[in-house]
Amino acid sequence: MMFTRHVSRQLAAHIAGQLTQPKARQVEHHLRHCARCREESAQVSQGIAALTDLPLAEAPEAIWSSIQSALQDDRTRTPRVIRPRWAIAAIAALALMVLASGAYWRVSRPKGTRWEVVWLKGRGAGRIGAGQWIETDATSRARVEVGAIGSVEVAPSTRVRVVTARPDEHRLQLERGEIRARISAPPKLFFVDTASGTAVDLGCEYTLRDDELGSGLLSVTRGWVSFQWKGAESLVPAGASCRTRPRAGLGIPYFDDAPERLKEAIDAFAFDKGGNDALATILSEARKRTLSRFGI
Amino acid sequence: MVNLSGRELSTEIIESCRLGDRDAFRVLYDLYKDRVYSIALYFFHGDPAAAGDVTQQVFLKLMISIGQFRGDAEFSTWLYRLVVNACTDAARRRKVNAVISDRSQMEALAAPGSQEADYERAQMASSVRAAVSALPPKFRIAVLSRYFEDFSYEQMAEALNCSMGTVASRLSRGHKMLAERLRNVIGVRSQ
Repeated sequence: MMFTRHVSRQLAAHIAGQLTQPKARQVEHHLRHCARCREESAQVSQGIAALTDLPLAEAPEAIWSSIQSALQDDRTRTPRVIRPRWAIAAIAALALMVLASGAYWRVSRPKGTRWEVVWLKGRGAGRIGAGQWIETDATSRARVEVGAIGSVEVAPSTRVRVVTARPDEHRLQLERGEIRARISAPPKLFFVDTASGTAVDLGCEYTLRDDELGSGLLSVTRGWVSFQWKGAESLVPAGASCRTRPRAGLGIPYFDDAPERLKEAIDAFAFDKGGNDALATILSEARKRTLSRFGI
Repeated sequence: MVNLSGRELSTEIIESCRLGDRDAFRVLYDLYKDRVYSIALYFFHGDPAAAGDVTQQVFLKLMISIGQFRGDAEFSTWLYRLVVNACTDAARRRKVNAVISDRSQMEALAAPGSQEADYERAQMASSVRAAVSALPPKFRIAVLSRYFEDFSYEQMAEALNCSMGTVASRLSRGHKMLAERLRNVIGVRSQ
């Protein structure tokens, strides 16, 4: 039997029907006799199929705004000097790039190092910057506008500090009490430090509660939150919560509508050395989506 | 496969853009913005700032140079050549050619719903994004261009400025690498 060269390089084209008929027949003939290339062909098919899970992402409106700003700025320029065509094109390109970069920076990374605070009950309004505390008593509440990326509601009996108020990093420290964050921004712009870890916003709405001993509860209602502690990370999706404990760090996230027995077993497993008993309960009570949190 | 190439851009719109018609340019922008942004986003490991910068540069460059478009190649091929150049230039500047995969950023791109199917889909999408991001740049841009634009190999060769044989080879190797990186996930799903 005459054996042709391996056809690894043509496999994707063959699968996509991009080969000429004689070439395709040659590849098919080779595949019938070569196990190695058949295996590779299956892999290429799997790789192509996997891409169907890749969604189209929507371009943020800020990009168009920045292009428009650049064009607007460019239009107001005077006076006109006649130059060779190549020079005009080069200068225009350079000017547009510089202006657009500035405009995009302005649109996507708004200025402001102090945030607006509105007292929903108890006091008036004011502004707060890095290093300053907001403290509510048992009857007062406040809303903090976090730059231009969202807002945080501060519940009664809460003490929270603005750590950083920069366009590229908005960071709070929750000492005790409860906050509700609504953030609409690219990931990793908003952080909340607590005694048992840091909540990193991935575009979401969530409530974070921490008691005076440092035990906490993160509940996500929209999007995702990454909760991080000493290099470990829990990714908490909408509809799920994650407990935290001081010195023990992160718990294991669970869906809020999970059975109470399951939640208790998860906490016992994560924090109280529940061991095999807790794991057995988790396995018997958990549904498929909960088990996937454990990588099962 | 996302097949959006059916939406043809009329020569009338291109001609209006060449004459400086802003409304026509907005139509053109709306038609291509998400595909350009998606390629850049997945090329830059899910970094929305990098993807935004590249998208902006591509369309500004497009506006500046659309007068040079003579129609001897398809418009979309010409546009994606700008995308490929912008991505590779930006990668060179940012020195992000090293294989990295930021799990948090990738997870952030998922769009989970409350149902189990949505959750699983989001998890799978997250794994695929991470695997695509881990491909070497020349394979990554080939796989993304092929997937998001559904180009023929001839168009891809034009956009990537290489031979059709090279396109075929990069796609075969790129998809094979993807399957290898996703071996566990694909295995679980097919069971």
